[in-house]
Amino acid sequence: MLKMRRYAYTTRSKVMRMYEVMMYDGGIYRSNELLEMIEDVGGVVIQKTRSAQMFNVTMSIPGEDKEAMEKMCTDIGGMVRSVPLAGTEIAIVGPTLGRHHMPHPICDIAEILRESGSITVVMGLARGRGKATSQISMQEIDIINEYDAAIFMLGNFKSCVEAKSHLFDKISIPVILVTGPMPEGLDDLCEAIIPGVGRKSERMRTPEERKKLDDIAEKVDDVVRIKRKMLEEDPLFVHPAEIKQLLEEYEPIKESLRPAPIVLHLDGLRLKIPMKDNADAISNMTVYGRRLGDIARISESRINDSSMMIRIMTLSEVNDIDSAKKSA
Amino acid sequence: MDVIVTGTENYGNEAYKKLFEDVMSEMGKAVSLEKAIIVLDPEQPLFIFSVMLRNRPESKKIADAVSIRTEGSEVHITISDENYAPEILSALWKAYGRDRVDQQTRFDIKIDNADEETIANIEIASGEDSKREILGALWRTIPEGIKARHNISEGRVITIAATEEIVTQHVKDEALRIHNEIKGDADV
Repeated sequence: MLKMRRYAYTTRSKVMRMYEVMMYDGGIYRSNELLEMIEDVGGVVIQKTRSAQMFNVTMSIPGEDKEAMEKMCTDIGGMVRSVPLAGTEIAIVGPTLGRHHMPHPICDIAEILRESGSITVVMGLARGRGKATSQISMQEIDIINEYDAAIFMLGNFKSCVEAKSHLFDKISIPVILVTGPMPEGLDDLCEAIIPGVGRKSERMRTPEERKKLDDIAEKVDDVVRIKRKMLEEDPLFVHPAEIKQLLEEYEPIKESLRPAPIVLHLDGLRLKIPMKDNADAISNMTVYGRRLGDIARISESRINDSSMMIRIMTLSEVNDIDSAKKSA
Repeated sequence: MDVIVTGTENYGNEAYKKLFEDVMSEMGKAVSLEKAIIVLDPEQPLFIFSVMLRNRPESKKIADAVSIRTEGSEVHITISDENYAPEILSALWKAYGRDRVDQQTRFDIKIDNADEETIANIEIASGEDSKREILGALWRTIPEGIKARHNISEGRVITIAATEEIVTQHVKDEALRIHNEIKGDADV
C-alpha cells in the first residue's frame, strides 16, 4: 500500500514513471517471491492464473525494475513473455454473426490478440451486411466506443468495403480495418488498414495467413501504443490497475461468478456487476483521500445493466475541478 | 470440378473461387458438381452462381443401397452404401417399429414378417433433398447481404442470381444466359 501511495504522489507531482507490462509463465514454485517483488517495486498484478502446478502472472511494473523482474522470473524457473496488449479490451466487429462471417477469420484475429495479452470481444452488427442496406445503430456505436480499440472485418470487394465506411466513421475509439482488397479514401476514417484477409470459410493456418495475423497484432499494438502515449501526456489521476486492486476486495466482485469480473482498459475499467446495486458503494470508495466518484466517471455499460464502466479522469481534469471548487 | 469466375474485381474473383471451392468441399458437395460458373459484379450489385451436377438428383430407395434376401418370414438386408445407413434404419423403424427391426451388426439388419419388395421400394433420400443441400451450399457462398434472389433449376443445372435491388428482367435474363451457357449442349 505504501508503494502505491508513493506512486500516486509521483503521479500528482508529474514525475511520471513508465510502466511495463509483462507476463511470467512458469511453475508455482517460489511464486510467492515473485508476487512479493511485484509489490516491493510498486507494481500491480493485472491477472493471475493458476492451473495445477502452472502459474501465469500478467503484471505491470515500473520500467526501471524490468531487468530485475526478468531475472527473478528466470531464477525461479519460469520465463518472461511479452504481452504488449495486456490491460486492454478490444472489440472485433463483423457485419453480422451469420456463418458467412463467423467464426473465420474474426475468431482467428481474436485469438492472436488474446495471445498478445488483450481481452477480446467478438461482435456482430444486427444489420451490417449488404452494400446499400448495411447499417449501424447508435446503441451499437455506443457499445463499441466502450472498448480501447475496434477491429472492423469487411469482405472481398473493394467497392463494397468503400461503400460500408459509414459503419465505422462515427466510432470515436481507434479503428483498425481488416479487409480483402486495399480500399481507397478510407485512410482518414481509421487508424490502420490491413488488406489481404477478407471473407474466409476455414481457419487461417498457412504460414502466410499466420504472418498476416501477426501483422494485425503488431498493428493493433502500434495503435494502442499511440493511445497510451497520448494518455501519458495528460496522465490519469490513478492507474486503472490500482483501482482494480482496490475493487478486488469489494464483496460483490469477490462473489461474482463471471470469468473476469474486472477488465482493465487503458483509461479505466469494466466491472461486471450491476450498476444500480453498486454505484453508491463504488463511488464512495477512497482513492488517495478522494472519493472514486470524484476522480472517475462511473456509468452503466450500454451492453446491458449487468456491467458498469469506470472512466478515470486525467490529472488536469481533476485539477480543473479542484480549482473550480476553490474559486466557487 | 471446373470453376469459371468472371467479375469486375480481380481480388474478389480469386477470393470467391477459393471460397466457393472451400464451402463445397466442407459441405461434401464438391464431388457432386461437374462445373460452375460464377459472375461477380459488386458495383450493381449482381452475383450469379450457376452449377451443373454430375448426375441428375434422383430419389434413392433402399434397394439402391443394400443387398436384400428373404428367409421364411424374415427379410435380411446387408447395407452396401454406409452413407445411407442412418436413413435406412430410420425408415425401417418408421415402417415396421423397433420391435420388428433387429440390427444384428453394423451392416446387417433383419426384419420380421416383412415383404422384400415393399422394403426395397422404401424411399431413403429424395432428389429434392440433394438439390436443397446444393442450394444451401450456394446460399452460404453468396454474399449475405445480397438478399433479392432468383432461382432457375432444370435437371442437373441450378442457377441463382442475387442482387440488392429489385430483381428486374435484366437480372433474370442474365441468370438465364449463364444458365444456358453452363448447360451448353449437354442433356440435363
